[in-house]
Parts: sequence; C-alpha cells; structure tokens
Amino acid sequence: MAKKEYDTFVLTELSQVPEDQEMEMIVRDLTPADRRYKYRSFYATAMVSKSESKYPDLLWVRLGRGQLQEKPWSVKILKEVNKFSY
Amino acid sequence: MPYPVFKDNREFIKALEANNDLVTIQQEVDWDLEMGAIVRRVCEKKSASPYFKKIKDYPGFEAFGAPLATYKRLAIAMGMKPDASVPEISDEYVKRTTGEPIKSVFVDKRKASCKENIWLGKDADLFKLPGPMVHDGDGGRYLATWHFVVSKDLDTEFVNWGMYRQMVFDEKTMVGPVLPFSDMGKMFYGKYVPKNKPMPFATVIGCDPLAGVAACAPSPIPEDEFTGMLMGAPVELVKCETNDLYVPAHAEIIIEGDVIPDIRIDEAPFGEYTGYRTSPREPRTVYRVNAITFRNNPIVTVSNMGVPTDEGQLLRSFSLGLEMRKLLESQGIPITGVFMWPESTHHLVVVGVRPAYSGIASQIANLVFGSKLSPWFTMVVVVDDDTDIYNKDEVIHALCTKCHPIRGIRKYEQAPGTPLYPFADPEERKWSRGSQVLFDCTFPLDWPKALIPIKVSFKNVYPKEIQEKVQKNWKSYGFKD
Ligand SMILES: Cc1cc2nc3c(=O)[nH]c(=O)nc-3n(C[C@H](O)[C@H](O)[C@H](O)COP(=O)(O)O)c2cc1C
Repeated sequence: MAKKEYDTFVLTELSQVPEDQEMEMIVRDLTPADRRYKYRSFYATAMVSKSESKYPDLLWVRLGRGQLQEKPWSVKILKEVNKFSY
Repeated sequence: MPYPVFKDNREFIKALEANNDLVTIQQEVDWDLEMGAIVRRVCEKKSASPYFKKIKDYPGFEAFGAPLATYKRLAIAMGMKPDASVPEISDEYVKRTTGEPIKSVFVDKRKASCKENIWLGKDADLFKLPGPMVHDGDGGRYLATWHFVVSKDLDTEFVNWGMYRQMVFDEKTMVGPVLPFSDMGKMFYGKYVPKNKPMPFATVIGCDPLAGVAACAPSPIPEDEFTGMLMGAPVELVKCETNDLYVPAHAEIIIEGDVIPDIRIDEAPFGEYTGYRTSPREPRTVYRVNAITFRNNPIVTVSNMGVPTDEGQLLRSFSLGLEMRKLLESQGIPITGVFMWPESTHHLVVVGVRPAYSGIASQIANLVFGSKLSPWFTMVVVVDDDTDIYNKDEVIHALCTKCHPIRGIRKYEQAPGTPLYPFADPEERKWSRGSQVLFDCTFPLDWPKALIPIKVSFKNVYPKEIQEKVQKNWKSYGFKD
C-alpha cells in the first residue's frame, strides 16, 4: 500500500523539533481516500523522525509562512486528539 | 427609490456577462490551486471575472472569482455606467450613503433561495463545499474569502456584518483572524469571551455585490442598512436555522454556528491585503459549524489576496478614503477630495486641500491618524488644489518637488498598527505597533508671493486663447491622440 502523506507547519527552529518522542501536533492529511477531504487538519499524538524511512508515513514540513522544505520527514500517527467540547 | 442594482450574485454575474466582463469557464478546474492561480492572474492582468462552471470533485457546485477587482465592476455593481470615472463613483457612493439608513425587511423562509438546501448535524460538513486551496503554502483551504460574518452584540441589538477570512480546519471547524479593534473583535473578545459564552455566527458566501461592499466598508451605520442605502431599497433577510441571526435571503451559501470562547487554533499563513504573507501561523479565532444552507447549484465567491489589484485592496481603498473624506468634511476642512490608490494597499491616503491657513496638512494628518481607522493607514500625502488627486503622475510630481525632505515630513510614532505590515519588525508585528508619516506637499503660506515657484504646465503657463487654439487644432497638426 502506498504510504500516506501528511504535512505540518513548524514554527520553531527545525532543529528544536524533538524526534522519536510522543508529542502533540497539528497535521494535514494530503492523501485522503476521498479527495474532497484533502488538507483536513487534526491534532494528533505522533512521533516524527527527520529520516524519511523511519516511520510508516511521510511528513512534509512547511515553515510559518508556508515555505515547503525540500526533503520530507516521516511520522507515526498514534491517535487523533479531539479538542472540542462543543 | 431603488437604484438599478442587483438583488443577488446571479443577477450581477449576468450583468458582467452583458458588459463583456465575464469569462465562463466550462472546462473542469481543480479547486486545489488551479482555481486560485486563475483568479490571481486575473487580478494581476485586470482581466474579466472568471465564472467556473465545473469544479473537480464537486459536481453541482460553481465558483465566481475576482467579483469586484476593478472600478468597472464596482460601477456595474452600483448600477452606474461601466465606464463611470472614480470621482463619479465616489460622489455617487457618498450621496447614497449620506442620509437616512434603510432598514432591512424579513422574508418568509419559503421565499428565501438560500434555504433551497439545508444540511444539519453530521451533514453540515465543510468538506462537502468546494473551498479552494487559494495559494500554494496556505495554512488550509479558505472557503470564505469574499463573504461576511454576521454576529450580534451580547447585551444590545447591535448586529455586525464584517469580512473576516475563514480557513477550513476540519469538517466542523473554521478558524481565522479577528483583529481586536474590529467591530466583531470588540464584540467577541470584549463581551463573550470574558463570560466564556459561545457567540452565534453566520457566514454569508455569495451575497449580492453591494452587501459585499458594505461588509468591508468602515462605516458606523449597520452594514445591512448601509447595503440598503447603496441599493436604494431594503435588503431582504431571513432567519437562520440554528440561531437567531438573520442573513440575506438570496445569498448562495450560509454557514451557521458558534464562535468558541475558550480555544484558539493555528491559522494561516495566507496571502494578505498588502500583497505578502506577513502575519505568521498562530492561534486564532475558532468557528464551529452547526448548519449549512445553500441555493441549488451554489456559486462560491473567490477572492485571491496578493499583489494589487484584488477587490479587498480596491474596495477598502475606496471606502476607507471616502470615510476619511466624510470625516474631514464634517470638520469643515476645505478639502477638494480624498483618494487612495488600490496599489497602495490602502496604506497611502492622498488628500487635496485649499491651503487656507498654516498647519492645515498637519491638521489633516492628525485627524486621519487620530481616527478609529488609523491602523489601516501609514502615509498621508497632502497636496494643494492644483494637483489632481486621482492622477498618479501629478501626485508623484507634487510629492517629489513640493515636499521638503525634512520640514515637509512629520513622523507619528507609537501608533496602533496591525500584525500585517510587511515593513514592521517582528516585535512591532507581535504587538500590532504602527508608525505613520505625513508628506506635506503644500508650499508654506508665509513665503513671499514672488518667491513661490511657478508650475510649468500646459494649463498653467499659456494664455487661455493659446490653449484653446492648440486644443482645437490638435488633430489638424497631425496628432492622433
Ligand atoms: C477580503 C477581506 C478580508 C479581510 N479579512 C479580515 C480578517 O480576516 N480579519 C479582520 O479582522 N479583518 C479583515 N478584513 C478587514 C475587515 O473586513 C474590515 O475591517 C471591515 O470593515 C470589518 O470591520 P468592522 O466590522 O469593524 O467594520 C478583511 C477585509 C477584506 C476586504
């Protein structure tokens, strides 16, 4: 099965992003089964690695003003986190 | 008396077509960047508005781009002749919006086309609407780029319509910036948030063109009544399905829900009115959706903010300038007019004045920079009544020859600003700190008359008879223009 692809915006120095640790982040789904849902965002508990091959899915990285970084990272999404009580 | 204007978006689209100002695109277009790129190019080339009949993944939905990105379209929207000049459109706008506000009327749901389809609960899913990915690198899909948000004050009957961009986060959530000095900002952050109460909202997409003009105009008159004044007839409103707000009955799409007081979500980046992505991705105001209602084959409006000229720049420059004109006239300042070029992204206010007394330029700048709207302006250029404020060449000439590089410039520091200024440093943006400047292009009144430079122009240095003779014979000399 083709890898799923996500992206995220990194607002700190890229070197400050912790690798191989569970953390909460917002990701966007770039490869949903129904294309109408492309770019759907969600909070996830996930682990990331700057190595493209370490985790099952690809994670593209953008900076605060949208600049896409050339090489993707990899990500393991552990669960989606719901933030809303409404 | 109603003006010959359009009751909805569809009538306006037809009028643009009749005036050769519409391109109907039958071939399928992708909502993911392609549609945005077309609208961007239209803005930069000042081409006709694109009307997209077939959107990838979204059969049955249509889109309409750059609805009001030129003065021609604004003139058509006002029911004026398409080649009306900017001063003519301005005078008409001031005439219609000075006087008695026109109260809206309420219509029965059965007569409201925005109720032709109603999605509630799980059906009210934002991804079922063709929100475009407008620019590559945007923080999300912006469903609301040319629209307005309706909200009501917590303690009074005051209702606001304002244009506040909205990005789709998930099926039920939108997010966007609401500046603290805007009417909705004061309402939500000043009243609902301290009481931890959700604020009902309704987003109106694809309204009639003049409601869009009113929603981004900075007038103190309630925007629905202001729309009525521009139309010369009451706006027809209908009640929402899930809250007590009222929305234009013939709009294309209505999104109903609550603005959430206790959570903020990262929004942006997005192309902004200055033509840059300046403000960072950061936590912003959250909208949760309860219902979506829409007309059959709804038409989503798409504005693409970027380098000039888009409708935000054009209309905000237009209405901010005219609001300043009303302010200066109300103070009895002998101005000849106020104009803001859309290319200045409404940072530059040009004021023409009869220099009747010393210090008049400073007085004008104090009023402009002291007004409620001052965060939107960074520069005031005051020219005398000899300069045509609508003529860029004349204003640049005046600026470069009459404004003393030291004495003619006055700086205003510690002013309120916005986080969107591209020139501001990161700390200034973070705290919305602004700074402003006056360029006084009038010659000082205390100079002896004999020492005042004489402008060397056709109009100024030839006797009237010679001017008339030359004009009369122009073609016979062999000139083609
Ligand atoms: C296309 C467009 C998008 C805008 N987006 C925002 C926005 O996201 N947030 C905001 O505070 N103002 C935004 N503005 C400016 C407001 O619409 C403007 O201040 C308007 O007058 C509403 O403010 P008011 O309700 O305080 O009069 C936008 C204007 C335009 C033309």
